[in-house]
Parts: sequence; C-alpha cells; structure tokens
Amino acid sequence: MKIPYYQVDAFTDRLFGGNPAGVCPLETWPPDRTLLAIAGENAKPGNAFFAPAKGDADFDLRVFTPTQEVSISGHTTLSAAFVIFTALGFASDTVTFDGQSGRLSVSRDGDLLVLDFPALPAQPDGPLDSVAAALGRPPQAVFTGLDWMAVFEGEDDIRALRPDMAAVAALDCRGVMATAPGETCDFVSRVFAPGAGLPEDQVTGSAHCMMTPYWAQRLGKSHLEARQLSKRGGTLICEDHGARVTISGRAVLYAQGTIEV
Amino acid sequence: MGTAPISIYQVDAFTDRVFAGNPAAVCPLDAWIDAGVMQAIATENNLSETAFFAPDGQDGADYAIRWFTPVDEIDLAGHPTLATAHVIFSALEPTRETVTFSTRLGDTLSVVRAGDRLTMDFPARAPQPNDALGDVAAALGAEPAEVLAARDGFAVFKSEAEVAALAPDMAAVAGLDCMGLIATAPGDECDFVSRFFAPKMGVPEDPVTGSAHCTLIPYWGERLGKTEMLAHQISARGGTIHCGHDGTRVRIGGGAVTYMTGTIMTGTFAP
Repeated sequence: MKIPYYQVDAFTDRLFGGNPAGVCPLETWPPDRTLLAIAGENAKPGNAFFAPAKGDADFDLRVFTPTQEVSISGHTTLSAAFVIFTALGFASDTVTFDGQSGRLSVSRDGDLLVLDFPALPAQPDGPLDSVAAALGRPPQAVFTGLDWMAVFEGEDDIRALRPDMAAVAALDCRGVMATAPGETCDFVSRVFAPGAGLPEDQVTGSAHCMMTPYWAQRLGKSHLEARQLSKRGGTLICEDHGARVTISGRAVLYAQGTIEV
Repeated sequence: MGTAPISIYQVDAFTDRVFAGNPAAVCPLDAWIDAGVMQAIATENNLSETAFFAPDGQDGADYAIRWFTPVDEIDLAGHPTLATAHVIFSALEPTRETVTFSTRLGDTLSVVRAGDRLTMDFPARAPQPNDALGDVAAALGAEPAEVLAARDGFAVFKSEAEVAALAPDMAAVAGLDCMGLIATAPGDECDFVSRFFAPKMGVPEDPVTGSAHCTLIPYWGERLGKTEMLAHQISARGGTIHCGHDGTRVRIGGGAVTYMTGTIMTGTFAP
C-alpha cells in the first residue's frame, strides 16, 4: 500500500521553525494499528490522516502523536489544511473536517490559515503545589480542563522553566501549558506533554483553545497575538468568539514523498 | 549553499519488515551542504539518526558519510550506515555488491550485500573495566554483574529477563560519564541480547544500535569463544543482528526495508 506523505512546519513562516507534522492523504482507511505504526515511524509531534468524509464535511480527520491518537491537534490540523490547499488543488477557501472533536474548519486568508476550533473551558481549581513542583517554579494560578494551564507573572518566568518531566507526566492531565503576558505580544506560552510522548511541544494550537478565552477575558480584547517560546518557536493569531476560537498561522512545506507499508 | 533538491529516504534497518528495526533517514548529496543545515534537517526528521553521504570518499572509499542525531553530529553510527548502503544497493546503484564509506575519524567502513543481508565491517571497540562512570546500577534500577566501558557504558546482566525488565531513570543515565549505556545478557534464543539507552544524545532508548555491537561483539566473542553470533536487540520494535568477530574488526549484518521516499524542499531554505 502506497500513501502520499507530506511534512509541514506549522505556525511559522520559515523552514525549521514552528511545529512539524506528517500529513497523509488517504483514499480509504487502513486498520488503526497501521495508522499508529505510521505515526510512530514518522516520529513527528503530530500526524494527520484524512480521507473523503462519510458525512457532509469535506474530509474525515484523525490525528496522532507518535504514541497515541488524540482528539485534537491544532498544528496537525493546520498542516493537513495547508497540504489540501497548496498540494491537492482544493478549490474552496474553506475546508471542513469531521473528527473526534466534532466539526473543524480551516479557511485561508492570504497566506494565513485560520482554524475554527471549540473554546475549551478552564476551571481555576488546579493543584498549585504539585504543578509548582513539576515545573520547578510556582505559578499564580492553575486551571484544569483538557490540559492544565499554569499562569505565571511574566515572560521571563516562562523562558526560565526547566520542568521535571517525570513529575509532569505523573500529573493527572494530558499536558501542562505555562503562560504569561508577553513583552512584545499579548501572551506567551510553553507546553509540556511528556505523558503523550512530547516532553516539550514546539507549537500547540489546541492549547490556545484554552488560553484564548482566558487572556481575552483578562486583557479585555478579543484579538490576540501569541508566541510559543519553544526552541523552534511559533506565532499564532488568536480570536475569542465565545464558544469558538479562531487560531491562525502560516505553514511551510519541508518534504514530500511516498510511504510504502 | 546549493538549491538542488535533496532526496530523502527513510529506511528501517536490522529488520526485514517495515515498522520494526531502527528507522534512519538517508540523504544522498551531490556535494556537501552547510553542517548547520544538515543538523536542522536531522532535527526536523526527529529520527535517532540522519545519514548524509557525498561522492568525495577519502582513501579510495566510494563515498564520504556523516551522521547527525536530532541534537548533534556523531563519529560512528551503525544502523544509518546499513540504511545508507540499502539506499545505494536498492535505489541508486543496483548492480553494486560492495560499497565503502570514509568517515570524519579517518575510518573506512564497508558494506557487502549477500541476498537480502547487508553486512558492515566496523572497528572493534572492546570494553574495558571502568568504575568511573557513576552509579550505573541506580541509573538502570538494577544491579549489573559487571560494569565495563568503551565509548558507551557496558552493563552485563546474568539473564535476558533482567535486561528486558529494565526501566532506567533517563535523567540518571544522562548523568553518567559515557555517551550511551549498553545493557546486555546471554540470550534465551540467541547468543546475546542487548538494549541501548542514550538520553544524552536525545535518544532515550534506541531500537537497534549497530555501533553498540562494535563493543558487544568482542566482549561476547571472547566470553563465548565464538566468531559467528546471532544477537537480538530487545527494544519495543526489536532487531536482529548477525555478528562476526575478526579480532580488531567486527562484522554487523542485517536486513533493511525502505519505508518512505521523498524530496526535501531546499528552495525554501533560509539564506
């Protein structure tokens, strides 16, 4: 079985920045174990598989880390849309996906790709002490939800984090995002998900589904520019629309080829 | 730097089926590109190693070869060399039966094809007693019968089950005074088994490690009194290594399978 393969750097406008994702357009779905094996073999932080939709979306989409299927991955979805728009000759300016998180859509606005995602709620009831111990620095507040969100005072706090990855993996959550007001943008973040096989995720769209409503409310503005302060770094434009958020970014094609399994 | 497209292959080495063995990326070059770009490509690939080779082999070698992990260039790597030879034999020069590579250290490595099996000729690096590595038992969470070292730490256990059960403290392994850490024992169904941990190089556990067998083969060859041995690396993916001991050289053999063939978009490299 031959499968086309694309590797995309998402949430960046330069090669080797942003967050890499493998993208595999499919005609039909192979067994789940094959999808998981491909994601493991690719060893990319995100792997997207999509095929013509059974319902009325354009495509059915499934996303994987190297070790597991996940319900939502922003940079992976953005990478899939980038391939659909640039390599597959998709005619419309909006592509819709059905996946584990329901209906997602990605639109193109010039070279910006705009993800329409659900806003993810955050409850301010997280355990300060265990998160402080895992991240090695005490946050001002910890919120819980799909991931946990630790809020710090300033950008310097985020840059200085040296988490104990075993302790982060032991927390009762998929991953932890650390966030603070930005010095040259609205907010900054880093994301640690060692339990999902990603000690530090480079750029994490889905984390912004939780951070966008928080910072929109706190800063009293709905249009926010965010930077993820990982080694590769990423830039995201976030908008708060109540129950939905849009997360926008650019992408660059690194490689294309064919997988044979 | 040039803007000619760079081909990329992803090959599973030391196995005869995809999704097993150890994946390596292989990039044939017409001429060497900037080392920073090779490092960026290896980081982007995020495999344990990416091999680059170009036709300026030294001392009569067919090619020169260099290897990069996601974080650094390294001096010697087995499975990416097997993967590189597989690309040459299967895709680039299908009539060839032998290929030689010169390395930055001045070694010449040869790979010979016999049917589906590729056999590499590497320098032996016998392990020596070494009590200065740090607390190997604490890092591995189990007490080895013997601790030796060459490039890598070398922890010998009594049984395959002990090696299979290891759950190392990777931060502690990274703190040892050696590049990687080999754990080995007699095999239940082969001559010896091993696992290889290299968190310091960004590879917590390597699925199959050719270069570790430069040290494993002289040790087990001496201990078992054999020159031909069958080894299994008992990682999750698993690998099979056909071993030969020839004094100062070792032969490391196995199969290889191409998983992905593609092109890197060099036109978008930043200047």
